[in-house]
Amino acid sequence: MLIDFLQPVIIISVFASTIRIATPVLLAALGELVTEKAGVLNMGVEGMMLTGAFAGFYFTYETGSLWAGVAGGMLAGAALSLVMAFMGITLRLNQTVIGLGMNLLASGLTFYWYRISYDIGGASGTPTVDIFPPLEIPFLGNIPYLGEIIFSQRLLTYIAFLMVPAVWFFLYRTKFGMALRGIGENPRAVDTKGISVRKYQYLAVMFGGMMAGLGGAFLPLGSTALFVTEITAGRGWLAIVLVIAGNWVPWRVMVAALVFAFLDAFQLQAQGLGMKVPFQIMLAMPYVAAILAMMSTRARSIAPAALGVPYARE
Amino acid sequence: MHIKALGLFIERRETDSAVIKTASLLIAIVAALGVSALLIRMWGANVGEAYSALFIGGFGDFKAIIDTLIRATPLIFTGLCAAVAFRAQIWNIGGEGQFLAGAMGAYLAITLFQGIPRPLLIVLTLIFAFLAGGFVAGLSAFLKNRFNVDVIVSTVMMNYIIEFALSLLLFTVWGDPNTFYPLSPFIPEESFFPMLIAKYRLHAGIILAVLAAFFAYLLVEKTPRGYELRAMGLNPIAARFKGIHPGRTLMWVLFISGGFAALGGAVELTGLTHRLRPEISLVFGFTGIIVAMLADLHPLGVVISGFLFGGLINGSFAMQVQTGVPVSIAYAIQAIILMFVLSASVLTRYSIRRAKDVD
Repeated sequence: MLIDFLQPVIIISVFASTIRIATPVLLAALGELVTEKAGVLNMGVEGMMLTGAFAGFYFTYETGSLWAGVAGGMLAGAALSLVMAFMGITLRLNQTVIGLGMNLLASGLTFYWYRISYDIGGASGTPTVDIFPPLEIPFLGNIPYLGEIIFSQRLLTYIAFLMVPAVWFFLYRTKFGMALRGIGENPRAVDTKGISVRKYQYLAVMFGGMMAGLGGAFLPLGSTALFVTEITAGRGWLAIVLVIAGNWVPWRVMVAALVFAFLDAFQLQAQGLGMKVPFQIMLAMPYVAAILAMMSTRARSIAPAALGVPYARE
Repeated sequence: MHIKALGLFIERRETDSAVIKTASLLIAIVAALGVSALLIRMWGANVGEAYSALFIGGFGDFKAIIDTLIRATPLIFTGLCAAVAFRAQIWNIGGEGQFLAGAMGAYLAITLFQGIPRPLLIVLTLIFAFLAGGFVAGLSAFLKNRFNVDVIVSTVMMNYIIEFALSLLLFTVWGDPNTFYPLSPFIPEESFFPMLIAKYRLHAGIILAVLAAFFAYLLVEKTPRGYELRAMGLNPIAARFKGIHPGRTLMWVLFISGGFAALGGAVELTGLTHRLRPEISLVFGFTGIIVAMLADLHPLGVVISGFLFGGLINGSFAMQVQTGVPVSIAYAIQAIILMFVLSASVLTRYSIRRAKDVD
């Protein structure tokens, strides 16, 4: 059975799908990383991804433009994160509770909105959109193996992976990013320097929401071509796990995303090859792996010191 | 904060006021229904007509109230699951999986102990369910204590894992050979939970749910153990200095919390559906979180909010029939209520007084 996996075609296909599958969780995880670096714990990533997925599908279906869907997904994620920021930063409510509330809100709203927008199970069948075509990079795409694995992906995938150095540069090499990290460690110190803690935290939360929305939008627009309720299936939670497993370092978060995506790609391929393992066990693997990843991440000292504690000036 | 122009003085409230809490809750619910009205308008239905259909469908007559009680039963159990854990600031999001585990535990007991006297069998289904749910939730406590795995993350992941486990069992050893669908055979009649009004399918699960709520209330508010639980919730660091062992408290609180959700799964199986299927939980675990929040995490309040949400879900079916608004709106309304209730909790933190009363 295992020998089936060792054919070049299969290996290329598994690795290429690994990179594709990593895209949405990587986008959401990088957003969550920036949010958490600013000291805000956003437990609503799942809901923001789900909303992004729905909005992405909705706007592309209605306008026929993929970019309208991408913009819609990002805006929807940002809108939801604005609510989150208002409740978690301005009203200083428990950020864990609000995050959970956001998830339930997104779940309820997308479920309802999808039902009223489309006649599911009707004569016209399930609505679908045309997804982003693969974009082969000139020259690089012709490299044997690597070309097919890395350089024949969709545009959003390239963007996701380019965001890794971009987020790193922003956090560690710009004034804004350093202030942001300072807020996550010691908001009072940054406040006394005359920097608005609230403003920075709002921006960080909204960036996180936009990235989660974009990651969510990739699901219908870069992969499934349709929307189903709970399409995110825990990917937002996985993004939170990735930030912890990656120890709040952008490139490590990327590695963690790739490991999880590989598991997923592997199980998809195994099902395709008709492996005799029940499909439920295969499908449960990423969730088990998430718990295992959390078990092996013992060094938590690098987590922002003021994470999840709403800042009050008085 | 002093607003001179208005002659008002805003200050932090020292004690909780039941009147203020109730008032802010009512404001939140009215505001949420206002926002939800926009969703109904989006569909194109008449808001007044829709809401009256919703209300009559949920609470309008004897039959509606009975149906609401049936629907409220699992919600009270999952609401208790969330309320007990959240009071200790333990974020058990695994009510969904623990509910399913309870149904599976009860089913296992039925397959193991067929033929024994009925009362004994029913008690065993409940015990097996409680242990199954307690074990699933306790696993998250173990992972936290031993490996420092975040409780939220592990309980969320367990929800998915349990769902797949149930699916696997229903497609293999527990599946009904007469159907292609993931369904178990019907359970034997001697394992049925006692009926209160057989004509309306009202089973005694609601009695058990209310008893469980009283038990939770006594446990949380009136026992030394409950004091530990509340101390953890108020200030985990101070609790440690008072000699409360956080790991041990985490373990028993999660075990009982999971057990509550699991009892809900058991009576849903033995009292209502009589066969195991993946849709035995209609996201009761997640709705339970909102039920608990609406009750301000008070176990007895969970009975009331569970009843209201049971009516909301049932009423939404009547609303769909009469106005066409999809039943999924019930889930949107629930979540909108939650967000407003959370926001309104800010109101209870502060009091507004006239400045001259202060000085």
